[in-house]
Formats: sequence, structure tokens, C-alpha cells
Amino acid sequence: MSYILEAKDLRKQYPDKLALKGLNLQLAPGEVFCLLGQNGAGKSTTINLFLGFIEPTAGAAFINGLEVASNALKIKQYLAYIPENVLLYPHLTGLENLSLLSSLAGFKYRESELRDYLGQAGLPAEAMARRVGTYSKGMRQKVGIASAVAKHAQVLLLDEPTSGLDPKASNEFSELLRQLSGQGTAVFMATHDIFRAKEVGTRVGIMREGELVDVRPTTALNTNELEQLYLTYMQ
Amino acid sequence: MSQFSILLHYEWRHFRAARGLVLLTSLLLVVGLYGIYYGTTEVARQRRHLAELPALTRHSEAELRRKFAGPADAGEIGYYHYTFARHQPSPWASLALGQRDVNPYYLKLRLLGLQGQLYASENVNPTKVLSGNFDLAFVLVYLFPLLIIALCFNMLSHERELGILPLLLAQPLRPGVLVAAKLTFRGGLVLGLALGLSAVGLAWAGVPLDGRVALWLALVGLYCLFWLGVALVVAAWQRSSAVNAVALLGAWLLLLVLVPSLLQVCVAAAHPVPQGLALTMQQREAIHGGWDRPKTATMTRFFARYPQYRDTATIRERFAWRWYYAFQYLGDQSVAPLAAAYTQGQQQRHALVAHLGWLSPALSAQTSLNALAGTDLPAHLAFQRSATRYHDALRAFYYPFLFKKIPFTHADYARLPTHAFASPADLGTAARGLWQLLGGVGAVYLLGWALLRGRAVAPR
Amino acid sequence: MLTSIAQKEFISTLRDRRFVGLSLLVLGLLLAATLVGRRGYAALQQERAAAQHTVNEQFAHQPGRHPHRVAHYGSFAFRPKSGLSFLDVGIDSFTGAAVYLEAHQQNSVNFSPAQQAGSLIRFGELTVAFVLQALVPLLIIFLCFSAFTEERETGTLRLLLSQGATMRQIAWGKIRGYSQAVALVVGPALGLAAALLFAAGSPARGLDLGLRLGLFGLGYAAYFFVVIVGAVVVSARQQHARSALVLLLGCWMLGCVILPKITANLGAHFYPATTKAQLDAEVHAETQRGIDGHNPHDAHVAAITAALLRKYHVASEKELPVSVNGIVMAEGEAYSSRVYQAHFAALNRTYARQNALADWAGWLNPYQAIRPLSMGLVGSDFAHYVHFQQAAEAYRYQLVQRLNGLQTRMGYGDKERRLGAATWQNIAPFAYQAPPVGWALPALLGPALALLAWVIGLSWLGLKLVERTPL
Repeated sequence: MSYILEAKDLRKQYPDKLALKGLNLQLAPGEVFCLLGQNGAGKSTTINLFLGFIEPTAGAAFINGLEVASNALKIKQYLAYIPENVLLYPHLTGLENLSLLSSLAGFKYRESELRDYLGQAGLPAEAMARRVGTYSKGMRQKVGIASAVAKHAQVLLLDEPTSGLDPKASNEFSELLRQLSGQGTAVFMATHDIFRAKEVGTRVGIMREGELVDVRPTTALNTNELEQLYLTYMQ
Repeated sequence: MSQFSILLHYEWRHFRAARGLVLLTSLLLVVGLYGIYYGTTEVARQRRHLAELPALTRHSEAELRRKFAGPADAGEIGYYHYTFARHQPSPWASLALGQRDVNPYYLKLRLLGLQGQLYASENVNPTKVLSGNFDLAFVLVYLFPLLIIALCFNMLSHERELGILPLLLAQPLRPGVLVAAKLTFRGGLVLGLALGLSAVGLAWAGVPLDGRVALWLALVGLYCLFWLGVALVVAAWQRSSAVNAVALLGAWLLLLVLVPSLLQVCVAAAHPVPQGLALTMQQREAIHGGWDRPKTATMTRFFARYPQYRDTATIRERFAWRWYYAFQYLGDQSVAPLAAAYTQGQQQRHALVAHLGWLSPALSAQTSLNALAGTDLPAHLAFQRSATRYHDALRAFYYPFLFKKIPFTHADYARLPTHAFASPADLGTAARGLWQLLGGVGAVYLLGWALLRGRAVAPR
Repeated sequence: MLTSIAQKEFISTLRDRRFVGLSLLVLGLLLAATLVGRRGYAALQQERAAAQHTVNEQFAHQPGRHPHRVAHYGSFAFRPKSGLSFLDVGIDSFTGAAVYLEAHQQNSVNFSPAQQAGSLIRFGELTVAFVLQALVPLLIIFLCFSAFTEERETGTLRLLLSQGATMRQIAWGKIRGYSQAVALVVGPALGLAAALLFAAGSPARGLDLGLRLGLFGLGYAAYFFVVIVGAVVVSARQQHARSALVLLLGCWMLGCVILPKITANLGAHFYPATTKAQLDAEVHAETQRGIDGHNPHDAHVAAITAALLRKYHVASEKELPVSVNGIVMAEGEAYSSRVYQAHFAALNRTYARQNALADWAGWLNPYQAIRPLSMGLVGSDFAHYVHFQQAAEAYRYQLVQRLNGLQTRMGYGDKERRLGAATWQNIAPFAYQAPPVGWALPALLGPALALLAWVIGLSWLGLKLVERTPL
């Protein structure tokens, strides 16, 4: 079986601390993996390693079978990244920002197509031609998701995507993720939100001090059990 | 469309959205045009003044014709008649006025000792001269780096501070391409403005279309490229916008203010110019001593240099003009070594500064532009030499009248030698400046490239 | 409250490594500029004093000569540097050092350092005044641009306000704290300058120099205060540190680089001055209407001779107890000198008009208020230069007239005789006395008032703006 996202003994040593202590992980297409952990547990480091923003000290990260560190440019065709707070050029409209991001990924769309993608991501039509400076956090995130869809990403890297979203926006977001994974997109999501993880994830992992201490399929436990498990590890 | 052209297109949109920058760029355009206007009017004024000088000479001649209605003693005429050595600016001077406001652009000459006349100053308002000229060279050398700093200080840090950089770098986009697009857009804007202004200036000043045009454009282009390269180095250093602004302004201060002023102290220490004070004092002593020395001694010394007049009558009277002019000439001769040392000292200082231009591209750019326009010290020294030759010609004209006792008639006024001198371009210095700039450009881009290669662009 | 905020700003400034680095740099430059300036001053001063001594000796030790020969031999006036000019060279680099004083004509003051230096000098000189006027404001900008923006971004501003402090108090506290920090940088350099000055200075000029230095320090204190208040106000009004920094740097460039140059250039453009050649020709043309001392056929000479004959009741020039030549020379000199003075005054009026635009700009730009104030206080401005020119001309005039007087008393046939060598030793040499500070002050009232207006206006308006700033 070929994995869309894989980590082999992935380690990251910063001058002051060992951020990641040998991560091993595989993700198949359509899977939604939720990584739980406290601040500083190593979640963002993991995402940055998959993005190629930082280089591993040892081991390797793979996207679509390609080693990230040596194929930094190629792997970015397959993945999309949505940070906790999607920030865009405030003086450009949502359409223009999306056009920039997708054209950099090599996709040249007409405006109607861009509107379709933004509409799919749930951005109201009246907002599309407005400057991003007037958008809420949720609206900006929808532009981010639209950019992921527009570049036909096979894997989505999400860093705390629901933090700071109101419950309605958060719910819409979960719905979108389910849709995308249904179409075969793999999702790797770092989060604090146990409820959301249980809701959208196919598997959850718990990370503590740079170590993936537990991985379970979400079908194996209910939300309360997951929270209990998490708290046990965090003690 | 390639990523590069997409990014270029978006840079244009970002630029249009940043109203402050658009305003600043337009302001610089206006200021540049003002610089051209100021430079050309200033040179036009100097030209007008130069053109008025022959009228003054004619006026004084008319006065002398009235005073000496018949044939006159040439000694009297030589004493009162004055004429001008004129330093005509080249059309290039409009673009880089250099020292033309500090150094006199004409010299009023009489048949008397030259050294007493050669260092006369023109009327200048020192307060104005202290503030300096607002010519195109000033705009290019001083203000363009500031425009480049304003355009480039947040070249990468802006995206990082906006928070869009992670999203951009999550696309299959090389950070180098992003930086290159940003730099290319800014470079295009700055170079377009600088070269466009230069073209307007060159046309306005009416310079002849020769190799110097290419040299000027190359100097201006390289100088702008240098500052863009400094901005690249700072961007590759990847600090916050505030730190970048401080670093770039620090570089501006260092290269445009501190290095030149420190260099000035060092050059003055390395080549102490024998002050002109000693020169004028000694010249006065030599000339006035002439009154007290025995006439035969003076004339013997004079004849040693002008043997053709050896056979003229011995001077027995209390005063004779030929004796008077002989000791004026001998006065000049006695300070010749001092005068040579004085000019040589100035020349050496200038040469040292030109050699040390690599310490600051601003310095080499300014020196080269002035050299091209013939408005710096070497041009003035060449003018002084030309004025000296003119004075020699005047003496050669008068001496036969004086020594052969030929009366000076009204027709002789028209036979007086005249003087014309146009600023030469100092192409050697300009070319050296070009190499220095090329070296500077190479160094900063190499450093910028190495920095970009050496450390990955951090998205946050 | 105010004191504790000031204390906090002062201490955190001192703990800021960037500030410490920058201020050490500025302090180093200040001290270097002081020492270099002092050395340059001493060298020039010594050179000019030695030259003046030499020409005075030469004058006193002339052989027996006819007085009019001596008048043509003349003398030189070398301009001594003012005692404080090592702090601010002002226009001294662009004004000449020596003027040749001779009969019949007024010469230009020649040999300015700028003529000897090439275009390098146009980049400016590293002087204490330059550091104080241009670099210290930059230091202040870097120190203050984040005064409010940082507290706003980190949220500590709300915290302070919730403790009961008002925006005005916080602003004043910050201004006080930053002022202390700036004083710490500038103080030692001024102290060194004062020490250098009074270690070498003569006590007679001590009071005057002390007063000038005191006012110099006071002027700069006001200038720095204006810059600090301005920077703090901008920091309060701007949302982001970056925009505050860019705005402040833009103001600095405009105020310290562009405006001074543009106003000076425009002034010269609107009020063109005559050239030296033109001026000389005009003076010459007007003098022609007076007496030419060297022209025995001049119509005026006959009239003067006739008047003398009547006065002394004698029949011929030979019987006169005075030399007609001497009197004619004196008359000619008096006339030509009057003509020259009128033209010289007109030229200086033109220059004053040219400079007026830059002077008025002081009301818009504090840099252009402190600059004339600073130059005027140290005695390196245009007014002091003109004072020297006038002193040199006054000396030239009295010297020539005294020699004409000597000639007059020689009686008829003076041209065949000479006066003894001892005569010249009785003539006092040129000794320039720089004007006291009281002379300089009235002209500096304009820039001083402009600076004062900035201090008061900015404190009032700026702080009002800070008060009204929304959080």
C-alpha cells in the first residue's frame, strides 16, 4: 500500500531542545489524522517538517513517496497548508488572493472558476470581491481551504484550524473536511480540540514532549474516553 | 505565465495599493525634474555671466581709449586693461554642478603678477554653498538610495509580518524566485526612474550623444543596482521590517556621511596641502621687494629668461614699465615651486579620494559623475593652467611693446589675445569609478546570494 | 505616576542592547568629532596666527619707503577661527581665510578649505554640530518610535491606563525618561568640549565663551526635546511600530536633507547676486565720478589744489605745507571706499534675502532653526564672517588713510622722498576681535523663537493629540 504521507524516525533537534524524538507515522489517502497535544509538544514542528520549512536532524518525511528535504519544491504540488490564522494580502480581494496562490501552484483559473472554489469553501458570494482586510478569521480560512481545493491537494496540513472560530464556522469547517476526505484527500491536523478530533478524525494521535505516545482509531473510543486518555497522558 | 511573471504582476498591484510609496516615487520624480531644472538654470546663469564678461572688457577698453586718446605706453595699458579667462561649462555640468559654485568660473587678469590673481574668489553666498546644490547628481546619489530603502526595507519581512509567507511558501515556489521577483520589480521601477530622469536631464542639457552618455547611464544604473543589492543582503538577513529599516538607513549614513567625512579627515592628514596663505605672502614679498632691489639685478635675472630682450636700453629713469613688469614676472617665478606644490597637493588629495572610492559607492558615483561633467577639482586646475597660459600669451603680446618701445595704438586692442576654455571630461576617473561600482555591485549580490543560499527563508 | 513611568522608560532604555550599541556609536562619534574638530581648529588657528604674525613682522620691518608704496604693499588679514568653531564649522569651510589689504581696492577673501578639498567636502563634515543636528535625532527616532506602539501591541498600555494613569501622564513620563537617556549620551561630549575649551582658553574670553557654550547647550536641549516629543506623539498616533518608524524617518530625511537644500537653492534662485566682475565694474564706474588718485590730469585734482592754495594763502603747489598727492589719494580712497561699502552692503542684503527663505523654514523645520542658532552661537555663521570682512575693510581703510596722511605731511615733492623704517613700526597691526555674544544674539532671535515655538507648540498640540488617541 502506498502512503500519501509518511514519517520515518523523524527527529528534530533545536539548539535548546529536542522537539521531535523519532516520529513514525503513515497516512493513507482519505484518512484524517488528528494530532493532539499541549503547546510545545512538537505538533507544529511535525507540520513544518512535512512542509519542508525546516530540515530534520535525522530520519525523513515523505509526501506521496518523495522525501521532503530533497524534493522541497515537488512535494508542494501535492500538499496544501492551512495555518491556525490564515493571513492574506489585506489590500487584495479574496478572489485576487486565491488567484495568486493557485497560479503560483500552476493553476490558471478564470474568475468564474475561482468563484466556484470560494463558494465550495463556503465564502458568501458578496464577500469574494471585497478586500480581505474586511474579512473575519473564518472567512480568511475559507479562502485558505479554497486554495487547497483549487490546487487539487492530495494532502492537507492543518495547524489548529478551528481555534478562534465560532461554533458555526467550526462546524462548517468539519463538514468541509469530511467532504474532502471523502474525495480521497488525506488530512493531517494538529489540534487542541478533542471534540473536533473525535468528530472529523479517522485516527487520533497523542503527542507529548516530542513523542507520539498513543495512536487510536476514533471508532475505538467515544469523546469522553478520548478526553480521559488525553488527560492521563498529560499528567 | 511563469511564477516569476505572476509575482511581478502582483508586486505591481501591491505597489499601487501602497499609496505612500506611490506618493514617494512621484515625489522623487518631481524632485528629480526640479534637480534638472535647477542644474540647467544654474549653468545657464553661469554661461550668461561668462557671456557678459567680454562686454566688461570692452567697456574698460573704451575707457582706456578715452583716457589715452593717442598712442599710449603699453605699460599703462597693461596696468589698467583687464580681461577674463573664462571657464565654459560643458553641457554635462547642468547634471552635476560639482565644485563649480565654489571654484571661480572666470578669472580677471591684468598684466601684473599672476599668482596674485590666480586664486581670487567669486562672490558666493557661503550659507547657500554650505547647503549644496540640488542638482540631478544629488538626487541620484543621495535621494535614490532613500527611495530604494523605502521600497525595499520590508521586501520579505512584509510578507512575513502579514503572515502570508507560510501560505506562499507552501506553494511549489522557490523562495529565491519570490525574492528575485520582488527585487526585479523594485529594480525596474528604480532603474526606470533613474535612467528616465537621466535621459530627460541629458536631453534638457543638450549633451552631445557620445560615449559619455553610455558611461553616465552605466554609472547611474550600477549605483542603483548597488543599493538594490544592499537591500537584497538585508532582506536575505531576514530580520523584522524595523530592523531592516534601521540597517539600511545605517548603511546610507555610513556610505554617504560617515565614510566621506572620515575620509576627509584621513586625506587631509595624509596629504597636508601647503596652504595658499604662504604662497600669497611670499609672492607679495617677492614682487614688492622688486621696488627696492637694484634695477640692473632685476633686469639681469629677467634677461636670463628672456634673452631676446637683452639688447634693450639700460634703465636709468626712476621708473620704467618694463622693469615693473619684469619684477612682477620674477615675483611669480620665485613662488613657482610653492604654487606647484600647492596644486600638486590638491591633485594628490583628489587622486587619493578617487582611488579610495571603493570605500563608498556613493563617493565613487559622485566623483565619477562630477568627473564626467568636468566640474571637479581637476577641471578647475586645468582651467588654472589654461589661465596661466593665457597670462603667458598676454605677456608675450605686451613685451615687444614694452621692450621695443612700440607705442600702443587703438588698433592694438583688437590684437590682444583672447581666452577660451571648456571643461574637459575626466574620463579616467569616471571609468575608475565605474569599475569600483562594478566591484561593489558584485560584492553585495554575491553576499546576498550566499546569504539566501546559506539560510532557508523562514516563513515566520 | 509620572516619575515612575519616566523611571521605567529610562531603565528599560538602558537595558535595550540596541540602544546602548547605537548610543555608544553616537557618543563615540561625538567624542571623535570633538577631538578631530579641536585638532583641526588648533591647526588652522595656529597656521593663521603664524601667518598674521609673519605679515605683521614684514610690515613693521619694511625698509624706508614712500608711504604710498607701503599702501600698495599693504597687509593681510587672516581670519582667526572662533574659539567654539570646533563644535560647528558652519560656513567656515566655504569662506576664505585670507584677504589682501591694499590701497584702492577691496580684495576677495581667498583660500577657503572647500576650494582645496574637492567635492569630498560636499558630503558634509564630521563635526559635533552634525552629530547633534542630524545623528542624535536619528538615535531619538530609533529610541522612541515604538514608545506607544509596542505598549499597545503587547497590551501593557491598557494595563497602565487601568491603573489610573492618563495618556498625557504616560506620554510625559516617556518624554522624561527618553530625555534622561539622551542627556546621558550627549552630556559627556559637551562636558569634554567645555573641558577642552576652558583648559586652553584665556580667562578674558572665558565668560563670553562660557555664555556661548551654555546657550549652545540650551539650544540643543530644546531641539532634542522637540524631536523626542515629536517621536513620542507619532508613536502614539500610529497603529503600528513600522508605520511610526517609516513616518519618522521620512520626516528626518525631509527636515535634515531635503528642505535645507531646497530652501537654500530656491532662495538663491529668486534673488540672484551679482558676480564679482560685475560688482568690481560697477564700483569702478562709480569711482570714476570721484577722484583717481593716480591720474594727475583728473579734473578734481585741479579743484582740490586750488582749494588748498586758497586755504594756505600761497601761490603755487610748491609752497604748500602739505602734499597735494597725499590729499588727493585720501580723497580718492574715501570716495571709492564709500562706493564699495554701498555695493558690498547691497550684495550682503542680497545674500540675506537669499537666506531668508531658509531662515523662515525654521518655523516649519526645527533642524533649520537649530542650525543657524548653533552656527551663530559658535561664531561660524554668515554674520560673523561679514563682521570679519568689515573689520578687515575698516583696518584696510584706516591703514591706507593713515599712510595717505603720512604722505600728505611730507609736503611737496613727496614722491622723491621716503619715510624711515621706524615709521612702520608705529602702525598698529591688524588684530581681529570676534564680537561678543551680545552682538550675535539679536540676529539669532528668529531661530531661537522658532525653536521655542516648536517646544511650546508641540508640547501643547502634540500632547492634546496623544490624549485624543483612541486605544
